[in-house]
Amino acid sequence: MVSIDVTNLQKTFQTKRKAAGLGGSIRSLFKPDYSSVEAVRNLSFQMSSGELLGFIGPNGAGKSTTIKILTGILHPSGGEAKVLGFTPWIDRQKLAYHIGTVFGQRPQLWYHLPAMDTFILFGKIYELDDVETKKRIDFLTEAFEIKDLLDVPVRKLSLGQRMRCEVAASLLHRPKLLLLDEPSIGLDVVAKQHIRDAIKRMNQEEGVGVLLTSHDAGDLEALCKRVIIVNHGQIVYEDKVSNLKRKFLTTKLVEVRYAMEVSKDFAIQGVEILKVGHYGVKLKFDTTKTAVDSVISHLSGAGDIVDITISDPPLEEVIAKIYQEAENA
Amino acid sequence: MKSISKYWSIFQITLINSLAYPGELVGRSLMIIPFMWIFYQLWKVTFSAAGAADGMINGLTLRDTLWYLMLAETIELGRPPIARTMSENVKDGSIAYILNKPYDFLLYQFSTAMGETIFRAMLNAVFGGLTVWWLVGTPNHPEGFLIALPAIFGAWILHFSINAMIGLSAFVVEDVSAFTWIYQKLAFIFGGMLIPLDFYPQWLQNIAKLLPFSSAIYGPARLFVTPTLELFISVMSLQITWIIALTFALAIVYRRGLAQLTVNGG
Repeated sequence: MVSIDVTNLQKTFQTKRKAAGLGGSIRSLFKPDYSSVEAVRNLSFQMSSGELLGFIGPNGAGKSTTIKILTGILHPSGGEAKVLGFTPWIDRQKLAYHIGTVFGQRPQLWYHLPAMDTFILFGKIYELDDVETKKRIDFLTEAFEIKDLLDVPVRKLSLGQRMRCEVAASLLHRPKLLLLDEPSIGLDVVAKQHIRDAIKRMNQEEGVGVLLTSHDAGDLEALCKRVIIVNHGQIVYEDKVSNLKRKFLTTKLVEVRYAMEVSKDFAIQGVEILKVGHYGVKLKFDTTKTAVDSVISHLSGAGDIVDITISDPPLEEVIAKIYQEAENA
Repeated sequence: MKSISKYWSIFQITLINSLAYPGELVGRSLMIIPFMWIFYQLWKVTFSAAGAADGMINGLTLRDTLWYLMLAETIELGRPPIARTMSENVKDGSIAYILNKPYDFLLYQFSTAMGETIFRAMLNAVFGGLTVWWLVGTPNHPEGFLIALPAIFGAWILHFSINAMIGLSAFVVEDVSAFTWIYQKLAFIFGGMLIPLDFYPQWLQNIAKLLPFSSAIYGPARLFVTPTLELFISVMSLQITWIIALTFALAIVYRRGLAQLTVNGG
């Protein structure tokens, strides 16, 4: 089953341009100068129901615009989109019963009231009966570990606590699809983990599909099976997250610590030395050019190794590389 | 039924929300006390200068005038800044986040506006009422308040329609503060906020009484001091006509605006 089907989606904004200063303001008053910005250009993709899809890209790539079109808030300038069988900008209200949305930068909970009040309000807005709402709240409080937070005014919660309540609120009406626009923005590591675990659980237990935009490669690694990378409103990369790693994570970082002081020359063909100390060394090399075992045997020849770490570079670097390649193309 | 109950819940949650800072709510409402005191001083001098044998100017006594102004102020001070809120929603894009729920945008805004109005208006009525009572005594027709209630509610619907239209014009003009300023001044003059319309020259009265501003302030306040069946019918029929015309206009402006949102949003 396909839950999102987008074909040649386009969105052009008219932006007013104005020269700096008073003169510019006056001129723009009489003769406004508009320029078009293509936020989304011929975007086509599909998402299956129950899928965890990452939608990433730099600022201004068109991610949020796409999400807003998919929720029916914005009308596209061209192209087709079906979300759960609805055309979002025509059936906005009908679609709203079946999708949940969280915009990381904008709270939907009532700020001065305890989250429980918003939960009950959402129950009414989504036309659930009171017993059903209560049952659902009980379930979500347990899944998101927010039992003790529900009676506290939202403004008194930490950002992490608030986001857990935000995501839980968006799931109250059992949506089939969750659209998350940067849900982890500004959160600390533990809070991110909490949210990711809960989202994963909802995906596994209730089969809710998740379309997630994020700047955080960690969200992508932890949650998504497939990723779409957009830049300048176009798809620049689309594949499974595991393939993304295999294809682009060809660089390895090796860090070695020796039992005693070593004075060997670590220079090997194709290996970049990042740091050398008396007791250890840190290297970087490309596995397609230099064999891993030759590097390891060279290192172990230098002395007794007490600790060795082999790691991939952060996914962020990989994504930055993809952006750059797309930029250069 | 469920669809009505969702707007009722939105109204309720705004009502509870308005109690989040009770001190601020009460403090703001206390403003009506000096207003009424100043009105009293002003009109006391005017009435004695007019020196009419029956103590009336164009059918109103000093006591009527003060109670009239108390209700006019209550209606005006009670209403939330709908135009400003909506234009901010449009400008900062948060309108997008109000639009992603299964409810009608305008009914949502109306429910929140009414939720914000009730306690403010009640407190204004209490503080304003006590002040006027202390200054000039009880109203001639206390029951007039109940008779004026439907017109008070109608006045808020009118306020909402006009202000929501001003707010939505932010789709096009971006800043609406000039329009709200003009609306406010027109409401002051043609709504009878400072001077009851009865004190105007006849030709101006005839014009002012037909405008929507009078239905939004003067009508209900006048009904309160003169609760006759005849006045009730004329106030309500004019008000309902304006409500129909302006909510219809609002619906059109909203549809237009929504299409514009495709340009400004993002």
